[in-house]
Amino acid sequence: MDHELIWGLPVIGYLFLAGLGAGALVTSTSLLLRGKNNPDYFRLARYGAVLSIPTVALGTALLVLELGSFQSGFWFKWINLYTVINLSPMSLGSWLLILYFAIAAPYVYTFLVPNSHSEDRFASLRRNLAYPCIALGIGVAVYTGVLLGAMPARPLWNSPILALLFLISAISTGIASVLLSDWIAAKTGSAKWCAENLGWDRERDSSGKANAEYLLASTDTIFIGFEIMVIFLYFMYAHLTVGDVRMSIKVFEAGGALTTHFWVGVVLIGLMIPAILEIQKILPRLLRGGPYVHSGVMIVVIPTMVIVGGFLLRYVIVVGGQISKLAGI
Amino acid sequence: MKNKTISPTAPPEDHAVTDDSIPVNVDMSPANNSFHSRRNFLNRLGIGIAGGAAIAAATVTGSQPVIAAVKSATKRKIQYAMVIDTRRCIGCHACTVACKSENDVPLGHNRCWVEYTEKGSFPNVDRSFLPRLCNHCSKPTCVDVCPTGATYKRKEDGIVVVDDSKCIGCKYCIHACPYDARYLNPVTGTVDKCDFCFHRVSQGLEPSCVNTCQGRARIFGDINDPQSEVSQLIAKNAHSVLLKGMGTEPNVFYIDADHSDPRDAIYQNRYIRVETHRKEKERR
Repeated sequence: MDHELIWGLPVIGYLFLAGLGAGALVTSTSLLLRGKNNPDYFRLARYGAVLSIPTVALGTALLVLELGSFQSGFWFKWINLYTVINLSPMSLGSWLLILYFAIAAPYVYTFLVPNSHSEDRFASLRRNLAYPCIALGIGVAVYTGVLLGAMPARPLWNSPILALLFLISAISTGIASVLLSDWIAAKTGSAKWCAENLGWDRERDSSGKANAEYLLASTDTIFIGFEIMVIFLYFMYAHLTVGDVRMSIKVFEAGGALTTHFWVGVVLIGLMIPAILEIQKILPRLLRGGPYVHSGVMIVVIPTMVIVGGFLLRYVIVVGGQISKLAGI
Repeated sequence: MKNKTISPTAPPEDHAVTDDSIPVNVDMSPANNSFHSRRNFLNRLGIGIAGGAAIAAATVTGSQPVIAAVKSATKRKIQYAMVIDTRRCIGCHACTVACKSENDVPLGHNRCWVEYTEKGSFPNVDRSFLPRLCNHCSKPTCVDVCPTGATYKRKEDGIVVVDDSKCIGCKYCIHACPYDARYLNPVTGTVDKCDFCFHRVSQGLEPSCVNTCQGRARIFGDINDPQSEVSQLIAKNAHSVLLKGMGTEPNVFYIDADHSDPRDAIYQNRYIRVETHRKEKERR
């Protein structure tokens, strides 16, 4: 524990925000392509699109803030990243981010024009851009895990399943952020303002809203289930091996430095409680075809917990990887 | 002095070539004659054909010396290395001081440091010294992760260096180095580490730490030259490298190093303490 953290909160924030933004973009494209011109699917797709660029951009800015060259006053030295391309995950990732912004920006723009709706003049362009956006969103989310996983000297990170864990968590937090921003936009009146001034979402369809929310909630439940599974596998493999990985997973075991953060923050708040609440909400429709009851718990409490859990997951992994040790010398 | 082979597990016929590039005690080997004639023959054939011939020969005969001979004939490059004879180290930190002044290392950081390992309880106690520096690995993981190509292994002498004009200080390589040999230089904003004093070495001088070492515990030279002092030393002595299991193939070799770590204390049921003498109070 005497080592100071080499990558601190800015990098944790980047991993979280890039995952959330990429997840929101994937959610947006999924809603758009599955929505069949339903205005409520389109409205939620717009929230995902609006979230996708600023979150990733803010995360990237945090990443630049963390650079030693930036902190020493060489503010634009990071441009060196774009003078070469090599097989370093960070190099590939920085080029991928450029591609992400280049393709996602026009996609997002098609949602932002006044009076945009699902059958406007940008409809086919929007759908065509949605397909590469899926790949790029998944790519950016996976790369945040590959970035950490590439180094044998950090045994806690050096796991092939870490990238998958980050991908699932990214999509889960992306869905949560779309649901939450829908609620925030309605509560703060910005949805109404947009409808009046920009001509967005004038028509509403209550069954479409319930359908879209049911789709998001049930997808989120599935992803939370996968995430629990991946965390279980990650933990069990580390626990049952010997050597460096066995030593490093001790930060999450009883008596470890991050045990509470991991088990209460990530597993309980981020995964278990949202999963139980969501299953309770979606089961009536899933099993008996009954109505999906739209509720405040569903669109406020669960997304908030999922987002907090997503942040804490990045936190415990990034910090835990740095305070765990190699075995021997 | 009686010659020892490097690998005690190698079969007797492999004595001719104890390592890829260090054919020591060739004269004593029973496989000596065939080894030399094949090697000369292959040299005459030329590099490209020799490679093919070696593969063919290896497939047919399964003969290790042929492969080794081709390897040594085709890539006889300089790879600077250091042997640290801990039996001669007195823990005086002169190398640390020399390095800091030679390379203008900022306050609170070290390119070179000496760890003390204390073991046991009175009266059965022991203290040993472990001088540390960048291992200039043959498979450097730090180089693999550098996104700008700022850190690389020099082709001419195998020294792993950081190009300050390219490094952006992302600290990725600090994570990647299992030896914790890298630090962020707060003045330049770039990552910094031991570079075997290549500004001195390229002028025919020894690195500053080697130059200053009182007990001649540090010996510097070309590991690919079988006549060099480092080659002779690791050929004739039991030696070890740090974290061999990481597969980085370090080029800093230790003679009689104490690999004890505080974690061993748990199962060995005795007191082990390591003083790193640097900002990082514990090993990685």
